[in-house]
Amino acid sequence: MADFQNMIDTLIEGDEKKLTSLAQSALDEGISAKEILEKGLMAGMDIVGEKMESEDMFIPEVLRSARSMSAVIDILKPLLAEGDIIAAGKVVIGTVKGDLHDIGKNLVAMMLESAGFEVYNLGADILPDKYVEEIKDKNADMLCLSALLTTTMPMMKATIDALSKSGLREQVKVMIGGAPVTQDFADQIGADGYAHDAGSAIKLAKALLQ
Amino acid sequence: MKLKGLSGGQYQPLSEEQIKTIHEASLSILEKTGFTFETGLEDTLDMLKKAGATIDRNNARIYFPGDLVMEQASKAPERVVLFSRDGRNDLDLTEHRVHLGTGGAAIRILDLETGESRPSTLKDLYQLGRLVDQLDNIHFFLRPCIPTDIPPTAYDVNVFYACLKATGKHVMAGVNDVEGFRNVLDLSSLVAGGMEKLREKPFISIITSFAISPLKLDTQTTLIMQEAVRNRIPVALSCAPMAGSTSPITMAGTLAQIHAEQLAGITICQLTNPGSPILYGGIPGMANLRTMGYLGGAVECGMMNAAIHQLSNYIKVPNYNSSGLTDSKIPDVQAGWEKAFTSLLAAMAGSNYIHHAAGMLESMISVAYEQYVIDDEIIGMSCRVLRGIDVDPEHLALEVIDSVGPGGNFMTSPHTLEHMRDEYFNGNGIVDRKSRQKWEKEGSLNTRERAREIAQKLLGEEERLYIPEDVDKVIRERYGILL
Repeated sequence: MADFQNMIDTLIEGDEKKLTSLAQSALDEGISAKEILEKGLMAGMDIVGEKMESEDMFIPEVLRSARSMSAVIDILKPLLAEGDIIAAGKVVIGTVKGDLHDIGKNLVAMMLESAGFEVYNLGADILPDKYVEEIKDKNADMLCLSALLTTTMPMMKATIDALSKSGLREQVKVMIGGAPVTQDFADQIGADGYAHDAGSAIKLAKALLQ
Repeated sequence: MKLKGLSGGQYQPLSEEQIKTIHEASLSILEKTGFTFETGLEDTLDMLKKAGATIDRNNARIYFPGDLVMEQASKAPERVVLFSRDGRNDLDLTEHRVHLGTGGAAIRILDLETGESRPSTLKDLYQLGRLVDQLDNIHFFLRPCIPTDIPPTAYDVNVFYACLKATGKHVMAGVNDVEGFRNVLDLSSLVAGGMEKLREKPFISIITSFAISPLKLDTQTTLIMQEAVRNRIPVALSCAPMAGSTSPITMAGTLAQIHAEQLAGITICQLTNPGSPILYGGIPGMANLRTMGYLGGAVECGMMNAAIHQLSNYIKVPNYNSSGLTDSKIPDVQAGWEKAFTSLLAAMAGSNYIHHAAGMLESMISVAYEQYVIDDEIIGMSCRVLRGIDVDPEHLALEVIDSVGPGGNFMTSPHTLEHMRDEYFNGNGIVDRKSRQKWEKEGSLNTRERAREIAQKLLGEEERLYIPEDVDKVIRERYGILL
């Protein structure tokens, strides 16, 4: 019998080596990759997400857990059948034009990835048209925009406007974030949602795409 | 009581040996790890290459030889005077002389009437300037909030205009681009009555956050910095990594990285215009590892800001750093202790130009009118500590003790009358030292309520005319002033 609780605890501790060996023994015992993914990894990551939101875990610890998880997923991937991993959604993410700050945005991207989203991280200082292009190209369901500077916040609106102009606005949900950004601002510029930290961003992304 | 420009240096978290160790580590960071850059700095790179730096364009790296860095650092003036227009608030920045004032780029403010948090406006910026102008212990006015009610393209001239109109104290702010800097320079020269007068006594200075930590040059700001330096307008080379996210989690590692970033910035400035006045602008901060936000009120921020002055003093460049941040959302007890700790530590280290020291709340997100009144008091008390205890015959008072004699009292002694107003700190009235009875009779006001009354009173005073009407007219015609 695979010890999923042990796997969950190990994922929360972020012990990559131990998690890998636990997953390997489970596979050797004949447990399916799909079951390991769902009952061990995803279940553990759900708890990590909760702990992050309640601020019981430091972000570097969260990242360590996420990294351990993706190491195991690399092992599981060849063993997973088509359809075993159903992406929670395709997300294009970036920091708006004129803004070079990308730590928070990268954190959200990483967390989205470990929550099962397919993430296309464009980087920082990205022009509105570049987002539109990528959304078209990847047939994305969601756009996440970040800004840290008050002076670049208007670029969020410009990006959403570009999206509307291209006719893609209805296809994607738009989520925004960054230190100076607020719910009011999100409402003002016609975004679908605002999250004040990475933990709530994941929750909101799931809710918006449900 | 004169409390501006007193000498600190009583608190030295780093030993001399530790300072040297960190300095050497910084030089090795610049030589081995180097700086990175993006496009648009070709002239700057050529200048550095010519001076002896190694430029690896394929990997976007600049490697600074230690000799080059130290040679350029030695060209930076040991003393920078930031002038006021009222003549009473010139800031003589050198050695361990301490000055504290406002700072930040907050986007929210607690409304003075309702007490609620709302976006900050251009009018707020002007009113805060007027308030600070009347609070004696706040030594300079660094633009504390962003006028969120005007278009970003109008920020530069309007911010400087609002500040210069509001106060005669030294004004510092950042600008968005080189053109913005030129406009601000022109506007300020109009106020000064000519460019020569402005250069002779610069009453404005520019914050240039040239480095994106870790170790990356920001193109736009580096260009602004070089343009200001060419014009001999003082610049503060701001870099503000957060331990744990944009610098190592450890204090020593953060200090070493910041010192390296500063040495690189100083090298660029002094190569651009040797001898130009600059402020070493290392601002050690901490990341909140639970949220990745900026942790303002941690006691270690005070310790590291003290240490960074030691490092700037080691290379003999006056410094710009930070204290008085708090993570509290309102002027409350937490705000009080966090501000008091960090300001006192930064001041006792001898930091030359400590910004953020008044008004800030919610890390760097918000300011509050009341908080300026409270922080004026905290700064005053911090500076009082620097003055120390005078021990000389007059202050020892042996004759007085003998003449009063055993069993007497000192209340009527001329010596008491002589020193009662200058031996102890007298604040702006925010402190409550009344009897309970009297306090209750006057409405049982708490600190924030008392501060609100003082702020309202000061803002109710007649506006001082810091920009003469004819000059004002010219400025308004030339630039789209929105105040």
